[in-house]
Amino acid sequence: MRKRTWFALVALVGALALITAACAQEEGGGTTGPTGGTATGPAADCESDPFGCVNVGAGEPITVGTLLAISGDVAFLGLDSQHGVELAVDYLDGAFDGKGGQIAGHDVNLVNEDDGCSAEGGQAGATKLAADPQMVAVIGTSCSSAALGVADQILADKGIMLISPSNTNPNLTAEGVWTGWYARTAHNDKIQGAIVADFAYDELGARTAATINDESPYADALAAVFRQVFESKGGTITAAEAIQSTDTDFKPLLTSIGQQSPDVLYFPDFNPACALITKQAADVPGLKDTALIGSDGCADPSYTETAGAAADGAYLSQPDTSAFQQGDFYQNEFLPAYRELVGDDPTAAFHAHAFDAFMILAQAIEQVAIEGGDGSISIPRTALKDAVLATSGHQGITGTITCNATGDCATEVTIGIYQVPAVPFDDPKAKPVFSETKSLEDVA
Amino acid sequence: MVRAGAKAGLLGGAVLLYAAAVGMLVRLDELHLVGTQVTLGRVLLVLPPFVAAFLAVRPRVVGGRVEQPGPPAALAIGALAGGVTGAVGAGGLALVDAIGLDRVRSVFVAVSPALVETMTFGRGLGLGAAILVLGGLGLGAVGGIWRRVRHGLRRPVEVGLLTVFVLGMLQRVVPFMLDELRIERDWLYSRVTRGLTWVGAVVVLVVATAAAAYVLDRRERHGRAPLEEGRPEVRGVRRLVLAGIVVAFFAALPQLAGSIVSEIMGTVGVFLLLALGLNIVTGYAGMLHLGFSAFFLLGAYSIALLTGANLVTAFGLVAPRFSAHLDFYVALVLVVLIGAAVGALLAAPVLRLRGDYLAIVTLAFAQIAVILATSSWLQPITGGPQGLRDVTKAPLLGIGFRSAENFYYLVLVACVLAVYVSWRLAWSRTGRAWNAMREDEQVAEAMGVPTGRYKMLGFAIGGAIGAIGGAMFAVKVGTVQPGSFEIIQSITILAVVILGGLGSVPGVVLGALVLLGLPGLLTQLEEYRFLIYGASLVAIMILRPQGLIPNVRRMRELQEEERTQDAWQQIFAARQEEEAAEGATEAAS
Amino acid sequence: MSQEARTTRTLGRFERLPTRRIVLVALSIGIATAVAYGSYRTLTLPAGQRYSGSAWRDFLVLGVAQGAVYALIALGYTLVYGILRMINFAHGEVFMAGAFGSFFFADAWERSGFLDRRPVLAVLLLVLLAMAVSVTVAVLLERIAYRPLRGAPRLVPLITAIGASLFLQNTFRGLFGAQTRGYPKPTALEGTWSILGIPVQRVQVLVLVVAAAAMVVLTQFVSRTKTGKSMRAAAEDQEIAALMGIDVDRVIVTTFVLGGMLAGIAGVLFALTFGNISYFMGFAPGITAFTAAVLGGIGSISGAAIGGLVIGVLQSIGPALLLTGIHVPSPFQLKDVVTFLILILVLLFRPGGILGTGEVEKV
Repeated sequence: MRKRTWFALVALVGALALITAACAQEEGGGTTGPTGGTATGPAADCESDPFGCVNVGAGEPITVGTLLAISGDVAFLGLDSQHGVELAVDYLDGAFDGKGGQIAGHDVNLVNEDDGCSAEGGQAGATKLAADPQMVAVIGTSCSSAALGVADQILADKGIMLISPSNTNPNLTAEGVWTGWYARTAHNDKIQGAIVADFAYDELGARTAATINDESPYADALAAVFRQVFESKGGTITAAEAIQSTDTDFKPLLTSIGQQSPDVLYFPDFNPACALITKQAADVPGLKDTALIGSDGCADPSYTETAGAAADGAYLSQPDTSAFQQGDFYQNEFLPAYRELVGDDPTAAFHAHAFDAFMILAQAIEQVAIEGGDGSISIPRTALKDAVLATSGHQGITGTITCNATGDCATEVTIGIYQVPAVPFDDPKAKPVFSETKSLEDVA
Repeated sequence: MVRAGAKAGLLGGAVLLYAAAVGMLVRLDELHLVGTQVTLGRVLLVLPPFVAAFLAVRPRVVGGRVEQPGPPAALAIGALAGGVTGAVGAGGLALVDAIGLDRVRSVFVAVSPALVETMTFGRGLGLGAAILVLGGLGLGAVGGIWRRVRHGLRRPVEVGLLTVFVLGMLQRVVPFMLDELRIERDWLYSRVTRGLTWVGAVVVLVVATAAAAYVLDRRERHGRAPLEEGRPEVRGVRRLVLAGIVVAFFAALPQLAGSIVSEIMGTVGVFLLLALGLNIVTGYAGMLHLGFSAFFLLGAYSIALLTGANLVTAFGLVAPRFSAHLDFYVALVLVVLIGAAVGALLAAPVLRLRGDYLAIVTLAFAQIAVILATSSWLQPITGGPQGLRDVTKAPLLGIGFRSAENFYYLVLVACVLAVYVSWRLAWSRTGRAWNAMREDEQVAEAMGVPTGRYKMLGFAIGGAIGAIGGAMFAVKVGTVQPGSFEIIQSITILAVVILGGLGSVPGVVLGALVLLGLPGLLTQLEEYRFLIYGASLVAIMILRPQGLIPNVRRMRELQEEERTQDAWQQIFAARQEEEAAEGATEAAS
Repeated sequence: MSQEARTTRTLGRFERLPTRRIVLVALSIGIATAVAYGSYRTLTLPAGQRYSGSAWRDFLVLGVAQGAVYALIALGYTLVYGILRMINFAHGEVFMAGAFGSFFFADAWERSGFLDRRPVLAVLLLVLLAMAVSVTVAVLLERIAYRPLRGAPRLVPLITAIGASLFLQNTFRGLFGAQTRGYPKPTALEGTWSILGIPVQRVQVLVLVVAAAAMVVLTQFVSRTKTGKSMRAAAEDQEIAALMGIDVDRVIVTTFVLGGMLAGIAGVLFALTFGNISYFMGFAPGITAFTAAVLGGIGSISGAAIGGLVIGVLQSIGPALLLTGIHVPSPFQLKDVVTFLILILVLLFRPGGILGTGEVEKV
């Protein structure tokens, strides 16, 4: 019985497809060729651009994609950034009024995909976005693992600009790896690692340190940078350990590290590993006097919830947002709008970076869009990429944004070291106990 | 019978509350099937009362006779079942309201205002509850008498609705196919909701129902001619033609469906390859192999290292400790040999173990492989958690295979080869030896079959195919990271093989398309992917262990009671009785 | 089900050679050498890198405490296997369910202060709650997933169990969210007690005491009570037991109930020790506990207990002892490798386990 139904079904669908194919009509009037009008100006620029133009007809929206970690265990990171982009679209008209604004006279259509915080996820999402010929640019990814070698390459092959609000892995903008079509408003971890090392060595007076990183490229790179800088300043690394982000038992590892009683233990991982390390370190006598430092991967409310009393006194490094979080715009306009949109406070630290990423994209589009005279515009892809990379002196929420030649737009970064309980995710007005600003040239 | 109705209703209600509490109702509400009103979430809301009623009134074999409620009774009991389901749903809502939504939400995270909206159809608690109960009654009533509707009317309607459903679910494929074929499709698929339009859905429903009615009518008049009947030569030709159509369709797919579908089908193809390998080891040779992910990993890392991939470190790209720069196709041969060798090696200690222990040892092996690949110890070779990148594009005559369409063809060829190998194995001496070993190992040994050797062969072949799969995957993604090779991959392909049918190649293909293709296409399903896998494994094993497209021989084995060989005939006889009863009641009505 | 029959059979060509023997002997020599060498190197590390006596002591105590938890879970595996000859792959999720079930109350009581005011009562209630949830899940598993498959070929229930495990994990994920939660510890359990001069974490003492008590109760139950005797009878031979008037269905349910109770207790103890729960927390302890059951001799209660302790200690001390000396970086990453190697070795050399017989069980 069942087999026959299946067969009938398949035959039916197949027949439908074949019949419609047989009676196919030629597509009348394409939407991909340039619209009528003069042969000069718009057509010329688009032809000379290696990747051509995106032609947005009159009344049609500009398509921008987002490729963020919006599902699974890291959804808090991706959703937070996605909301930042949504708020940016809203703010295009100069106010958070719940209605989207326009770029170059056209509405914006956001297409959201999931980067899965993994290489396959990044590949799948990037392919979906890249398949749309109207896709102008993409804001993403959340996780460096989704971008490195996958999303950045797939989008670059199609001439689609990728701007990340939260990738911090140094490799993404390193020579030989950078695709040319990638930029980010998040800091390069070369800076964060160096600043944390400065804090440990200079501020805390530590001379020995141990690191624990998990399997993500983010943690691996950050811990490595810390170790390198710490040692170059004269410190000694007593242990460089690795864990799985899904591990829950760190006692043996901590006991082993505690043997050497390092002055500082740096664990730039994600929760719950951060929180559990903090909690279990309290039970290890060898780590009694060790300063515990986590990073922005740990900086979400579950850290203090899970670690409980053991977290008091621990340090966390993350972008020093006090400069803008104390600021008028953020407190009085952005945050209320965020709460209105989401119904809750921000869950991660990169929503403002996402806002800025979209804004520099919007500015670049305005700059290079060629008017077609009938309300349509053409956006030459290469020119757009160049305009984004040439962004200079843009006033964003996170500070003044100037992109360098290899895509790092947060060239001057202020990293703050906060001490629990004065941490931004629990107390939006918290101030760091240490703050330093470095630029990429300082650490290159 | 009333009790059965109530029980079915409670069960339906439990399923409903479960879907709500787990978050499926809300998430799947985003997937529009028809227009803006018919979403997958709403379908999930509407199905339980109907199905509960349908099951409550099914004919039962009681004391040697077939009992079935008469039409009025069926209506009543069906309505009861549906009503109870709706009532349970409404009761859940009321309970949540009484306790306070926020308090419930602090424990059950999926119980959100959006959920209440969805369940009450946006009409507030009181009215929503009423809708649930009344709707349940109505749907239940329909479900109860559905069985009694004339077969000639029922089947075509079912087929029609199923077609609409399938086309709705394939909203990421069919519109793009139509676009590529330059066929106007805005009347069928809405660009706003992505699902079918009402106009399109009605047209499809009418066409499909009419077509099904026609086919059914013809069958009844001229008799059935399924694929399996007829003279052997005709059968063979028919099968070949069907296979040819299928292959042609898949070969043309990238041109028809665009790059998104090609990309997803590429992934499906890789896992299909793995599943075909598992099908050989578990389906043919009868050894439950949970360690396929280890060979997947082995193949990927091997091909990366042999073709000159680089390690990803915090400070840029570094060459691994051991690597070579061979051509992909040369390296592939080596990878096959490595896979086979390791497979045979794995087999050696487990030859004498029982099925369960064998499975656990393979599982342990898979875990060890992942841990080692991620470890800092082997980091100079495997790149630790960050893995390797710049895997070759597998260039052949100047064409790279990294792009979605090209890779699809590469993996299609590999799958066709795997199918061919499966087919040849099934009908070879090895296949027969495996059959014998599966049915009774001790007897097989007594008959002189060298079980040890054939077991090793099974594992070796499985290992080789798994390694090829891994190599393909590495080419596709271009980077090799240990996170892609966790145990869950083994369980995924197990689910594919089981759902499709142990030992059945068409079944495995179907299983791969359903379990891997659909979540890939539909992001809403992606989140519940593993929940669906787990549920399907359990459901299939209990309800239909032979899978969707069974291999007849395995079907008999899986369904027989271990010691009571006659039980199969009893089940068979009972089923025949049921069908006869159904036919009799239909004839009578 | 019939007993496992040992048959004599004609050896195939492959097995006539003593290859197996040779390989096994070579393997055992190799392993012994590796273990000895690794340990030697670790113990002779220069003073700065060597583990102190107190570190080894800590490892040992930690291992014993963890082992006790594994033993409790292993008992669940072994009980079910004894009667149904089936590996209940989903038992890890039964354990997880208990931890989750008690979590919400623990959290509420911590905030209200009840947990700190009446720690003994609170922990007792938590254990009871965990047991209730675990037992419910276990019984549902049995009724829905395993009972319909009683007579099926062996692979079928195993595959079903795998599916059930996956299903339960993701159900809990969907119901309660994917994030790991911190499990509160009563202040009374913070800190250490000095036992025979060794500082032992208070939580670890609790774990050991409770686990030991549970095992004693279980052993008495199985050997003295009527239900216990019925269980043993059914484990020996289901058919004969049924003929003797034992309600096999009820006995099986009782077995699952017992296993569930122990898993529930283990859940609370685990959560108190490590301070966190998550939907995937059952997978790794599940497999480790299964290894423990196999190591001790599956089907044997004391075997499960011994196996648990041994595995716990080996997991804790193993990487430190064997790998630090030869400078394997991050040896603790590989602790699961140690466990799985033990599993493979046990099944290779002595599938009956420590307390089992030395013969190979055939299909």
